[in-house]
Amino acid sequence: MLGKSLLTGMAVTLRELFRKNVTEEYPEVQPELGDRFRGGRLDLVVSKCIACGLCMNNCPNGSIKLKTVKDENNKRQLDSYIHNTGLCLFCNLCVEVCPTKCLVWSKEFAYAGYSRDALVFDCMALDRERIHREEQSQTTEEKG
Amino acid sequence: MQTQTFELNMGPQHPATHGVLRVVLELDGEIVVKATPVIGYLHRGIEKICENRTYVQSIPFTDRMDYLSGMNNNLAICQTIEKLMALEIPERAEYIRVITAELNRIASHMITIGVLALDLGGWTGMVYCFRDRERILDLFNSLCGARMTFNYIRVGGVGWDLPEGWLDECRRFLKDLPEMLKTYEDLISGNEILQMRLKGVAPLSAERAIAMSASGAVLRASGVDYDVRKANPYGIYDRFDFEVPLGTSGDNWDRFYLRYLEIIQSARIIEQALEQIPEGPVMAKVPKMIKPPVGEVYHHVENPRGDLGFYLVSDGSPKPYRWHARRPAMINLQLLDELSRGTFIADVVATLGTLDPVLGEVDC
Repeated sequence: MLGKSLLTGMAVTLRELFRKNVTEEYPEVQPELGDRFRGGRLDLVVSKCIACGLCMNNCPNGSIKLKTVKDENNKRQLDSYIHNTGLCLFCNLCVEVCPTKCLVWSKEFAYAGYSRDALVFDCMALDRERIHREEQSQTTEEKG
Repeated sequence: MQTQTFELNMGPQHPATHGVLRVVLELDGEIVVKATPVIGYLHRGIEKICENRTYVQSIPFTDRMDYLSGMNNNLAICQTIEKLMALEIPERAEYIRVITAELNRIASHMITIGVLALDLGGWTGMVYCFRDRERILDLFNSLCGARMTFNYIRVGGVGWDLPEGWLDECRRFLKDLPEMLKTYEDLISGNEILQMRLKGVAPLSAERAIAMSASGAVLRASGVDYDVRKANPYGIYDRFDFEVPLGTSGDNWDRFYLRYLEIIQSARIIEQALEQIPEGPVMAKVPKMIKPPVGEVYHHVENPRGDLGFYLVSDGSPKPYRWHARRPAMINLQLLDELSRGTFIADVVATLGTLDPVLGEVDC
């Protein structure tokens, strides 16, 4: 019969009408991204970093720029560590190659900005902020 | 009355061109006289970029070629490098590679089916396919932390072992797949309007398909039994029992319906792989700095769009001397002019949909 298949198709959509919604209620409900999710900034633990530069050399797109200085014991120290997420492929090669495992993804995905500069992060400054926040929360815990 | 043809630009900013493809149409009223695809709007020079990267660093770039089937591209480049290095892969890694590659094939074909429905004016069909594809992307996300640009298959194995419960989740997906396919059958492929729009339009003979070196579903729709997984088995594909669906007339309907049938076969392969998958390591011993011996290698795999090949020349240094990709979407797209001639302008969209180019791969 001509048009029968159209009714079958409509029956599919009609059945779907009474099923549970599959769309996520973003941003009220944040998506569950799992612990392997690669995204956001690189969270660098400066105290663990040995400034070997392997992450920079392994980056396929040159999104990591780090500078080192020699200290008084002739040991390499981190001078600056810039992660340009605008260039980043999120391929995980930097995280995997890190010998001291001092790099992790911050796992955020909503950090759009109004300029390209908003995508460039100074990982050392972020680490200092993180330590500062932790110290503050510790002191408030002790007080409270 | 004297008439003349006129030129019409379809694209590059047109949703039905699957990306940034520009087709210059020469029209005689509603009838297409000539259709010239103009490519290059998404050209990034990936081949040249990869010649300036190490072998491992070139893997993430293949994700961005055919971005709907990143796993298959990862598989192709990794197997090419492994062939160059004569590297043995652990059994478990081989099975994981097959499972992920076939899952990606299902996801890619879901898009093809859904987007073709969208191109022909059926918005609803597309939404259902995208909803079901989301299940596969979630599986990939829990596996490697990315939904489309995986960088999961690596030289020597795979990047991560399967997380706990992943195989069960994969089995659940396969259990639900027949119902999904039934939905597509009811909603899309069973639809009379869609069938009338596709059947008998733009047929491609087997001789012309071979002459234009088409591959994948475009070639098989014309009745040529050529699937790299059967013709030149790579990895462990010779261990699985599956069929290669073939079309008869090579028209738009055959090219479209073949993708539907291929989903069923991919599911069969995954089921067998899930049963046979052994325990063990997922990564072989690979040197930190890969310096393959001097030589050249060509390796090809069956990607959802066709016969994807990589040609690498090594000069013994950490970077390839030549890095070339044979991109099936690019070659299949060359058929557009031939197939569109004499059809209506609305059928160009359908023909383009069944040829199924991904512009990331066409332009590379």
